[in-house]
Amino acid sequence: MSLSTLTKDWEPMSYGFLDPSAKREIRRKMLKAVAVPGCQMPYASREVPMARGWGTGGLQVSLTLINPETTVKVIDQGADDSVNAASIRRFLARVSGAPTTLDTLDADLIQSRHRIPEEKLREDQVLVLQVPNPEPLRPVQPNMSIARQMHADADYGRMWLQLYEQIVRSGRVMQGASYPSMVNGRHVMTPSPIPRWDVPKLHMAKHLTILSAGREKRIHAVPPFTRVEPLVFDDVPYKVEEHGDLTCVRSGAKGFFMNEIPQGDGSSTYEISDSEFGVKSIKQTEGTDTIFGETWYKNGEMS
Amino acid sequence: MAYVATRGGERAIEQSERLYRAAMGDITEQRVDEVKAAMPYLIDRVMGEASLYDEDLAALALAQTGGELFEAVLALRAWRTTQPRLQVAAPIAQDQLFTHRRISAAFKDIPGGQVLGPTLDYSHRILATDVLNGATYAPEKVEAADKPSSAYQPSVAAWQAENDLLDLPVPDDTKPEDIPDVTREPLLFPSKRAHTLQSLARSETGGALALGYAAMRGYGQAHPTVNELRLAEAEIAVTHPNGTTFSAGRVKVSQAEVVSKKGEKLELGFAATLGWNEVKCISAATLDLNSKGAEKGSATEEEFYLYHTEGVESSGFCIHFKLPHYVTFQSSLDAMRDAKAKKSPKPEPAQ
Amino acid sequence: MLSAPLPSVEETRANQSFDALLNALSRPGQIRTLPTAGEGSIVDALLDRECRVFCADPTLLPQVLETGAMIAELPDADLVFFGPVQDAEALLSVAQGSDLYPDDGATVVVRAPLNVGSKLRLTGPGIEFHHDIKIAGLPTGFWHMRQELIRYPMGFDLFFVDGDQVLGIPRSTKVEEL
Repeated sequence: MSLSTLTKDWEPMSYGFLDPSAKREIRRKMLKAVAVPGCQMPYASREVPMARGWGTGGLQVSLTLINPETTVKVIDQGADDSVNAASIRRFLARVSGAPTTLDTLDADLIQSRHRIPEEKLREDQVLVLQVPNPEPLRPVQPNMSIARQMHADADYGRMWLQLYEQIVRSGRVMQGASYPSMVNGRHVMTPSPIPRWDVPKLHMAKHLTILSAGREKRIHAVPPFTRVEPLVFDDVPYKVEEHGDLTCVRSGAKGFFMNEIPQGDGSSTYEISDSEFGVKSIKQTEGTDTIFGETWYKNGEMS
Repeated sequence: MAYVATRGGERAIEQSERLYRAAMGDITEQRVDEVKAAMPYLIDRVMGEASLYDEDLAALALAQTGGELFEAVLALRAWRTTQPRLQVAAPIAQDQLFTHRRISAAFKDIPGGQVLGPTLDYSHRILATDVLNGATYAPEKVEAADKPSSAYQPSVAAWQAENDLLDLPVPDDTKPEDIPDVTREPLLFPSKRAHTLQSLARSETGGALALGYAAMRGYGQAHPTVNELRLAEAEIAVTHPNGTTFSAGRVKVSQAEVVSKKGEKLELGFAATLGWNEVKCISAATLDLNSKGAEKGSATEEEFYLYHTEGVESSGFCIHFKLPHYVTFQSSLDAMRDAKAKKSPKPEPAQ
Repeated sequence: MLSAPLPSVEETRANQSFDALLNALSRPGQIRTLPTAGEGSIVDALLDRECRVFCADPTLLPQVLETGAMIAELPDADLVFFGPVQDAEALLSVAQGSDLYPDDGATVVVRAPLNVGSKLRLTGPGIEFHHDIKIAGLPTGFWHMRQELIRYPMGFDLFFVDGDQVLGIPRSTKVEEL
């Protein structure tokens, strides 16, 4: 071994920003994450030129997967035009030369914070979810070492107890987003802070989902055709947000997850949260030819 | 059109960055040199937290971020992480450090002597306001001691060990290239010793101080005595592929040993960092001293203080709360409203 | 720095190789194509001086050494390159990780002819119903040994390479000999 075989000419920036060694480590860990669905795999998590908590985990996975032919879509809270989504999309394009898109149907790689698009993802697409807190047990156990032991023992009793207490107190499970879900019948994971509306989209899906927490240095995955079951009691079924009957004030479309827009008179209007799907719906209303993908929800119900 | 065009978001972030940078104006080599010359201790602090020893890059990072320390450290870390690692330097022992300052609070005098070196400790903290009226604040000339103290000094802990007051850590003969590197592998608990010391070396000064101070005030089990505080320069000895060992230069380092009485022996806490940063080293060494047997979830437990003194992570997470969270908020609202509806009495059906 | 950097030949190959591996492991039993024949591109995509490798194949060893990876005994290796497997007992010492750290279970690469030989039925994550495959050249008792050893989520993950074809069987897959 010599220096020259281990190094190469200095470049101002590696392709895709991350150096080959960083990518290899993430690759090795991604394989482990896929092999044990829902199990959090620790990784080094390099610093990237964005602040921690701003999608650095998702970014590292995207930077590892990307090549000049990868068409990338980035969303934040469902919106492509959200400022941080714009920032990440610009960065990905800048360091890789990859084309970008807003249309879910055209994307090979979708990096998202807090939403899964309304159009079904295909087998050839990869969804990368940004994860602020990878540990579903944190509300019942903030200590990472103890929580890890609980996962090892499949000891989810306190998790169940917490849900049970909520039902007793409030008549329902009070978890909003990040609904804890059992993966492949073995590991409880957080699906990231996606709304409950989106969790069923992970169950037996055609696409691969990779969830990466940069600050907390953990990566987990949901391979295609993997069981993802929200933790529920037999007699208290899982409930997604009651958005099925809401109508988008801008497009007239109905039956999708909505953003609530408070009005001056005390009422609320609603707009479709998946911004590009909303744009398509408006175009359709205006009479423009628009290609929609098949949606997970039909008439406000998960199909 | 109903939705904000994507260009809108892109233009907004572009312009907001321009606004920030406009305040600093042009950044030139000269600016960077001035920052470097004017603020060596700030440069040191930033280099330590970034775990990258390069005064020019640190000065550039400070100039480019307008002195937003968390941003400066992040920029340096992001630069550092992509650099190839050509060599691992040879480990350096305390008595090989070229020492500028070395004091002990444990003894009135110590073998090698108390070497005060550069410090503001005994200065009167009075602002030289005349400078603002055009006067020059020129430092008084340093007068050399009649007998210079030795540049190389043994550690105080070594003397205590000889006198059976303290057990030194068992020497670790791990090959330098095999020492676990916290920037290349995840931090797991119980933490590897190398990871603990590296994390403390990279810790955010204010964070280390906050938790270290909590331990000092009584939330820790041990009251620290500064056994030795040292500011020094360390020789970076590397080996060329042809086998020759040579010095690649010297870097400023600081380190602290703190001790506390435990039965008949003294217990030792240690921390060191790149650059000269006394507050951080004493605080971090105090955390190290207190960590053994600390209760889970207490400020002096390793997992607690290593996670929470990580400046890039803590500051990033803090500012991430500025990002929109309306989807998660909407999801919570839905659950709240539903729970509320369940509680409110339903009108009885008319008979 | 403002124009996008271009991927080097090595970067492109490693990226393609990993794409094949990730897809193969996400959809157990489906055959994917590596950018070059043999294990070479897998070595490029996954190995460097920060991992421990066991390599039983002398023809592959020089390339493995060039990555700077630490050569390890089988039980300590993160990545295992068996070449062809002669004896099912070889699996006995493969690292399986612990219940706390299942990620310490090894990634194992085996050279074996695909689409010929004995028929296997795969079920588990990544497979909608079941998926039937054929792999030849494995010693008797290989699958039985794998089943005996894997205590999910502990275990090891297998890649089978035949020329430029690769097929993955993660520890989560149930393998039934038909």
